[in-house]
Amino acid sequence: MREKATTLYIGPQHPGITGNMMIRLKVEGDTIVKAITEVGYLHRSFEKLAERRNWLQAFTLMCRFCVPEPDPVEETYSRAVELLEGRSVPDRAKFLRVLVLELARISSQLLWYGGQGASLGLYTIGQWSVGDRNYILDLFEELTGARVYHMYIWPGGVRRDMPEGFEKRVLKTMDYLEGRLDEYEALMFDNAIFKKRTQGIAIIDKEKAIEWGVVGPPLRGCGIKSDIRIDDPYEVYEHLDFEIPVYEGGDIWARALVRRDEIRQSIRIVRQVIKEMPGGSYYNKVPNPQKWTIQKGDAYARTEAVRGEIGFYVVSDGSNHPRRAHMRGAAYVHGITLLEDILKGANVADVSSIMNSLGTCPPEIER
Amino acid sequence: MINDKNSQKIVDHIHNFARKHSLWVLAYGTGCGAIEIPPTMTSRYDAERLGVRGAATPRQADLLLITGYLTTKTLKRVIRVYEQMQDPKYVIGFGSCTINGGMYYDSYNTINALDRYLPVDVYINGCMPRPEAVIAGFTKLQELITAGKADGAAKYKEKLEWYRKNQKNVIPNWTMPEYNW
Amino acid sequence: MKENKVKLAKYLKEHFPAIIEKDYNYNRIDFSINRELVPSVLRLLKEESGYIHLSHISCVDWLEEEEFELVFIIWSPVDKIKILIHTRIDRNNPVMDNIDKIWRQANTYEREIKEMYGIEFTGLEAADEFLLEDWNGMPPMRRDFDTAAYASNKYYNRPGREDAMDVREEIARHSGEEIPDFAKKYSR
Repeated sequence: MREKATTLYIGPQHPGITGNMMIRLKVEGDTIVKAITEVGYLHRSFEKLAERRNWLQAFTLMCRFCVPEPDPVEETYSRAVELLEGRSVPDRAKFLRVLVLELARISSQLLWYGGQGASLGLYTIGQWSVGDRNYILDLFEELTGARVYHMYIWPGGVRRDMPEGFEKRVLKTMDYLEGRLDEYEALMFDNAIFKKRTQGIAIIDKEKAIEWGVVGPPLRGCGIKSDIRIDDPYEVYEHLDFEIPVYEGGDIWARALVRRDEIRQSIRIVRQVIKEMPGGSYYNKVPNPQKWTIQKGDAYARTEAVRGEIGFYVVSDGSNHPRRAHMRGAAYVHGITLLEDILKGANVADVSSIMNSLGTCPPEIER
Repeated sequence: MINDKNSQKIVDHIHNFARKHSLWVLAYGTGCGAIEIPPTMTSRYDAERLGVRGAATPRQADLLLITGYLTTKTLKRVIRVYEQMQDPKYVIGFGSCTINGGMYYDSYNTINALDRYLPVDVYINGCMPRPEAVIAGFTKLQELITAGKADGAAKYKEKLEWYRKNQKNVIPNWTMPEYNW
Repeated sequence: MKENKVKLAKYLKEHFPAIIEKDYNYNRIDFSINRELVPSVLRLLKEESGYIHLSHISCVDWLEEEEFELVFIIWSPVDKIKILIHTRIDRNNPVMDNIDKIWRQANTYEREIKEMYGIEFTGLEAADEFLLEDWNGMPPMRRDFDTAAYASNKYYNRPGREDAMDVREEIARHSGEEIPDFAKKYSR
């Protein structure tokens, strides 16, 4: 007997949702037949505000685009401005940027561990990984002075040099984390519940992934080797030795495996960066911010953030304000069209797990 | 109800003591500040030792954390959520943007002062506040509860018309039911 | 990379003689074309040249020139070049062709541009409201919309922030607390 479809609202206030957004579900029994996302609960209109700020003031807005990983956004904006102006960055600054980006990647993946685990009822893993994430935030605090919004990578280089003995503390934290990763894996990936609730759920196949513009770990989970750090290298990634984890399957399980392996690769990159860090200046001075004008033109910079491609399109009209600073986030693609499609036929209980595995980040969609 | 004034005082004291040690926070991340809530709740800072923990639905929650800026679209939902919560209920404004708009003071979509729309018991400033600051905010709220000064909900009932006027000023299409005590 | 760019420009010129190219000294090449031809250019690049990834669609308001500029950014994982396709449309009658049949994710971009700039995309199937709720006024991302004036009219501004004064002492007095010594030395 065919059951009657009912409408179910998930969010904006819902503990399983990855941020402040709403999904309207049409369900028959436990199966979803239609999903409509509704966003805009976090729309602050950064891009309008950036048009009223000068180039350096606008930069403090940029890191607030995506809360779990602010650093890639800062870096992308700074690099877009540098491309636009033709400003060069010292080598040491590039290495420091990569160090911060990879530490941010690890901290964001650890937060993902917590979210993905909690969405399936595994609360212990979140207690561990979010607790361990504090050690990375401590490093950030020492380097940049802040826990979450660092405002560290700015046009021209980075804001501060490393404090004395910082390398040692980074390496110590990395050693500690590497040991902990084995425990996380045993807890999460050997767990029968986790396997059962992720394998074969929310499958994206290769053709669809390209057609719908999937990026980041979901794309690598479909067996396509694509990473901007390799394809369109920025900063010093072309000189570093690391691998891109790729898994077949396209389900939540494959995406989780990709993310699991990425933490190890990030630790590897951090160690190399510390080892090969050159000396010299960390900052090419920019002019007085009130008088800093950039010639007419436009630039587009892309970065591989944790959830996928982040891009910044920056336009200057020759004044000291950006004419347009438009950001493209991974969640922008994953969180609306793809999510609506992938939820069709899924189980109501899997909604938050699917959202977590796609890396849906509402502040990035809404800006 | 106890008619004797002194006995009432003792009963209130016991009530407040109990309320203070079981603050259930509504799991509603309204803004960026929500990112510091997991560290606050987990192993290092462990807010649960103060009796603070998450609640899934408004009806079971005592404390509404407004974690940062509120857009008018969210404000509408937050008012709905706040009015669904049962007495006693408290509100903490979290971050500079709830106090005076913070860095979004000129945005067309965010409100600038939270206490015009909801009764705020404690403000925590910073962008964003560290977990220590959040815990300091919780303990401050507990102090206020012990002293019987966390009376935001009573103020809201009393001055409902004023709050309603402000709310309707910024929310263009008021489709919500009028408040049902 | 250089050869690829030259080949690409030649190939596009054969099909679309009106196209204008602009080369950069890194892996980027720009083309400008009028708006009717944009979907055909995109389809050709996607299906014949391997530019399978639509990275971004952006819009810039050139108020002084009475035009909107739309920018489509596409990327080829084989050539490793990004192409920016610029087109300009009339600001007083902003209409553009919908491209979400070519890339599904374009739907989201177009919804946002429609709401923020008021550009009509022909044949776009989506709900009217995207980020804003009950908005009746000028599309907010247009240059002539003054967000500061709107905000100061609509929202209550707490006094004290316009002159950036140090108000900590007043707050401390109000709440009956004392400012700790270590914090005093940071006062302005």
